[in-house]
Amino acid sequence: MLTLRDVDVSIQASEILRRVSLEVGEREVVCLVGRNGAGKTTTLRAIMGYLRLRAGTIEFLGRNLAGLPTHQIANLGIGYAPEGSAIFPDLTVGENVEISTWTRPGGRPAPERVDLAYATFPVLRTYARRKGTQMSGGERKMLSIARALALDPRMLLLDEPFEGLSPAIIPAVSRGIATITEAGHAILMAESNIHHVPEIATRLYVIERGEIIFAGRPADVRRDPAVLRIIGG
Amino acid sequence: MSNVVDVLLSGVFAASILFLVAAGLQVVFGVLKIFNLACGSFYALGAYVGVSAVNWSLAAGLPRPLFVLALVGGGLALAFVGPIVERLLRTVYDRDEAFQLLLTFAVVLMLEDVTQLVWGTAPYSTGALYLSYGQALILGSTVPVYNLLVIGASVLIAVGLGLVLTRTRWGRIVRATADNREMAEALGVNMRRVYVQVFTLGTVLGTLGGALVIPSTTAISEMGIELIVQAFAVVVIGGLGSMRGALVGALIVGVLRAVAIATRPEVEMLLIYLIVIGVLVVRPRGLFGGAAA
Repeated sequence: MLTLRDVDVSIQASEILRRVSLEVGEREVVCLVGRNGAGKTTTLRAIMGYLRLRAGTIEFLGRNLAGLPTHQIANLGIGYAPEGSAIFPDLTVGENVEISTWTRPGGRPAPERVDLAYATFPVLRTYARRKGTQMSGGERKMLSIARALALDPRMLLLDEPFEGLSPAIIPAVSRGIATITEAGHAILMAESNIHHVPEIATRLYVIERGEIIFAGRPADVRRDPAVLRIIGG
Repeated sequence: MSNVVDVLLSGVFAASILFLVAAGLQVVFGVLKIFNLACGSFYALGAYVGVSAVNWSLAAGLPRPLFVLALVGGGLALAFVGPIVERLLRTVYDRDEAFQLLLTFAVVLMLEDVTQLVWGTAPYSTGALYLSYGQALILGSTVPVYNLLVIGASVLIAVGLGLVLTRTRWGRIVRATADNREMAEALGVNMRRVYVQVFTLGTVLGTLGGALVIPSTTAISEMGIELIVQAFAVVVIGGLGSMRGALVGALIVGVLRAVAIATRPEVEMLLIYLIVIGVLVVRPRGLFGGAAA
């Protein structure tokens, strides 16, 4: 579905990603694990078209994403929930969820998309009329994922969905992510903590200093002491 | 008493024009993050085109009381300037603010020359046409009805703009883009298109302001720069990017200027810029600073 081949990205002349290759198949949950600054967010931002590739290719559903503006990449069916949640504080929770049904009509009808987003995180429906600013960090994470879901994507990019969440709210977010995969979406998730990698993960990549140093099944990485040392297992 | 009402009304009239131009400046800054000095040139352009539109349409047989239609039509027709200037600014979106300011100032100078080329350097006016609506007596003071119409129109535009930005899908998309452009794009917002639309809206607010003011004054080529100086004070007092700030700032600057002109004309700008400095010291972000749009 999504294929990165030998992707190089530089930001202000310093090399951030070096020959990054990874793959996400239909209905897969793929985790990109690495320490802060390893290049996880840069990888996701490169996929979304925010950053120019110096080399390599990114393909989604057989289409080359190079040079496409971000909104067209979104329209191809990639939903993005960034690290800081990036909730629009000036809009209500309901408007945050609905916005992509206005910008990307077509496909499934809007009410169905909004319902699916709320069904994934039912608590959000009770906040629908609140402003984005009146939400806790965990609620913002959920809203950010729900908002990406309302785009009716084929695949979701989640940047550290568990980062900074209180232990009480983690199960709610995990359940939500499980619901998303049951609905048939693929997920590429960035994580800095190996313990946050959900059990439903089908494939795992470890990134360190901009390079992929491990690719395989989650069970295998837990047996690799060299990699575990880096990601703090 | 009638003197006070006189001064207040002329202040509010000036404020209602100033609000239109400042609102254009604010909405463009809110979304494109560019401080568009050329808003003053759009105002001047609106004034010149307004005079010409009125003169042509009266010569073509438009009944005198309908001259307002020619003004509004001229102001709206200038919308085409928006996409052209926006296309030029597109080259500096990712550059330093200094480049953006320089480029918008270049647009100011170019448009000033364009107006001189087309309309010459002599002042240009619609004569006493604006008195064709007669005068109204308010609390012992006589005001041209035209001024009241402009104040009313400006209030309507302010309310309409507020409704569009808060109650329509387009307005919500604009506010989302103002708040976080990258995130809006990831949700399918075509940033290029929103930028052109918003810039054109800002342009039309400026040209309408110029077209509406012209019956009560004279078009001169420096009027654009004079207005930028005032609009700058408005947004600093009101807070950059805030619509409510534009409204309150325009009222403060408009009324204070009228008071100064009626009492001590020589300190007019001094007074306004003392307040600007005061606001910068006490509330550096302006009275309504920090709001997204």
